[in-house]
Order: sequence, then C-alpha cells, then structure tokens
Amino acid sequence: MTTKNKRVAIIASNGGLETAYKVLNIATAAAALDAEVAIFFTFEGLSIIHKDSEQMLQLKPGNEGMAEGFKRANVPSVKELIELAKETGVRMIGCQMTIDVMGLEKEHFIDGIELGGAATFLDYAFDAEVTLNF
Amino acid sequence: MASQIHANQILDCKGLACPMPIVKTKKAIQVLEAGHVLEVQATDKGSTADIQSWAKNTGHQYLGTVQEGDVLKHYLRKAGPHEAKEEARYPHTITAGELMNKLEKGERMTILDVREPAEYAFHRIPEAKSIPLGELEDRAGELDPAEEIYVVCRTGNRSDLACRQLAGKGYRNVKNVLAGMAGWTGPTESDE
Repeated sequence: MTTKNKRVAIIASNGGLETAYKVLNIATAAAALDAEVAIFFTFEGLSIIHKDSEQMLQLKPGNEGMAEGFKRANVPSVKELIELAKETGVRMIGCQMTIDVMGLEKEHFIDGIELGGAATFLDYAFDAEVTLNF
Repeated sequence: MASQIHANQILDCKGLACPMPIVKTKKAIQVLEAGHVLEVQATDKGSTADIQSWAKNTGHQYLGTVQEGDVLKHYLRKAGPHEAKEEARYPHTITAGELMNKLEKGERMTILDVREPAEYAFHRIPEAKSIPLGELEDRAGELDPAEEIYVVCRTGNRSDLACRQLAGKGYRNVKNVLAGMAGWTGPTESDE
C-alpha cells in the first residue's frame, strides 16, 4: 500500500477559532492521508491546546457571522478535532519557552501533548516535505 | 446508473464537513477486508476531489462516484498488502496492446473481467463478460472451453489467479492480460 513516508510539520503561532480550525483540519486530513504529522504550538497558538480553549478561542471581530455557518456545515468542535488528532497519532508539541514566558504550567494544557523547544520541532521538520505556518 | 453497484460496506458521511469524510473513510477501510468495496455516502461537495486524493495517497483504489440527489456515493476498493507488486505466475500472457490488435481484427474471443462488479460498472472493455474472481469457482461453466479466453483485472494479479483456476478446470485456451485495465488504452464503456 503506502510506500513512502510523508511528513507534515505545522507551526501554530496564532490564536482565534479560525486558526484552530485551519491547523486542526489540515492536521487531521494529513493523518488520514497516511502522513506523519506534528504541530508546534507557540505564542497565541498555545490557546488551541489549553484546557480552557473553548473560552479562549473566539472568532475575530467581523467574523462573528461565521458561527452560524460552522453550525450549518456541521463542523466538528475544536475539542473533537483535537481528540481525532490524538487518535490518529498527530504529535502535539507545546513550546516550553512561550509557556514559561506566559507563566503557565503543563497542567494548564490538555493531556497527551509533549513540551519541547525549537530544536525538538526542527529535528522533526528537517525531514518534512510539507511545512505550514498558521 | 442502470444497475446497482454492489458494495461490501456502506459508510454514512452525510451532513459531515471536511475533513470528516476522509477521516471516517480511513477508519472504515482499516477494518475492511482487502479486495472489498466501500461505498462512502457524502453531501460535502468537496468530497469527490478529496476522496480521490485520499485514495492516491493511501494506495487504495478509487472506482468512481455516483450522484443521487444531494448524495454523492464514492466507491473505493481496499488494496491488498502486496497488490501490484506480486509476480504473475500463469505462463500464458498477452499484453493489453496485443489484445487490442486482435479485437480490432474482429477475432472471436471471450474477454473475461474478474474484478468486482463495482469496478466493472465504472470502467471496462466493451463486450467483456463479468465474473468476479470470488464467483469463478461456481460460474466457470458459463465459459466456452473452445473459445479463446482473455482474462483481465486491474493490474494482472487477480486475473493470474483466475487463469490458474481455469487451467485447473481444464480450460486450455486461456491467457492473462498484462497489465490489466491499468495497461489498457483502448475503448472502454461504463453503466452510465
């Protein structure tokens, strides 16, 4: 069946519900296409894997109208997509440096993530054919 | 479409948005038996392109899509672990090009297509007779032993098995078509 190993490296550095969907849709789709996937969450992107992500991830001003559209299109919730990502083996790495800067702890984040620095991500990303930054 | 396309399993993705149809398809195909056909029902208009890309990247076979109202029915066949790599072992073969020449000359022959009915429905050599490999044991009697029989599948693997089965039943004029429909550039027809 699959012969080559595809690898996708994603950096999530922005907050907001829009970013969360861009990141998680690409990540779960890539995993479904048999790719190895890792996401490096840094700065505002950390809110996507925060335990309080539901409160923290809001639509950008002017995009509030999309809420209705998300419902109509039956788009899964961020929590559901995160679960799906975990189930399909997507690696989620929280940026230790930003977490320290923000005065946060590992307990503030959902289970199943790893913490690491830029080198952890780069070590993985050097062999990736696809790198994306959101 | 005139005839119902047979699927071994149906996956309901109606009402689901991207990327859920392909995520669920991947899950479903993991537990499907190799060679079986999965029907994915979706209303996401992007799913036709997505399912094809998914199949290309995972090595499974996209057969085609039928639209019924708002529902898109995508047909996929699960590939086996060694498919398209295994060496054909039945010694008597013919290339797709040679077969086309014979057809053009109007030679009398039987073209036997041993793929699944869903594969046959979307894309086949005109006049080809359909007996899926799994039914050949019981239905071989429908074939005339006096006639030249050319056996075709997708890549030449299933037809290799079919040729050996027929040879075992005493059919002498049997040839395996290489490399199956994948190598066929002549005319084709479908149920549409």
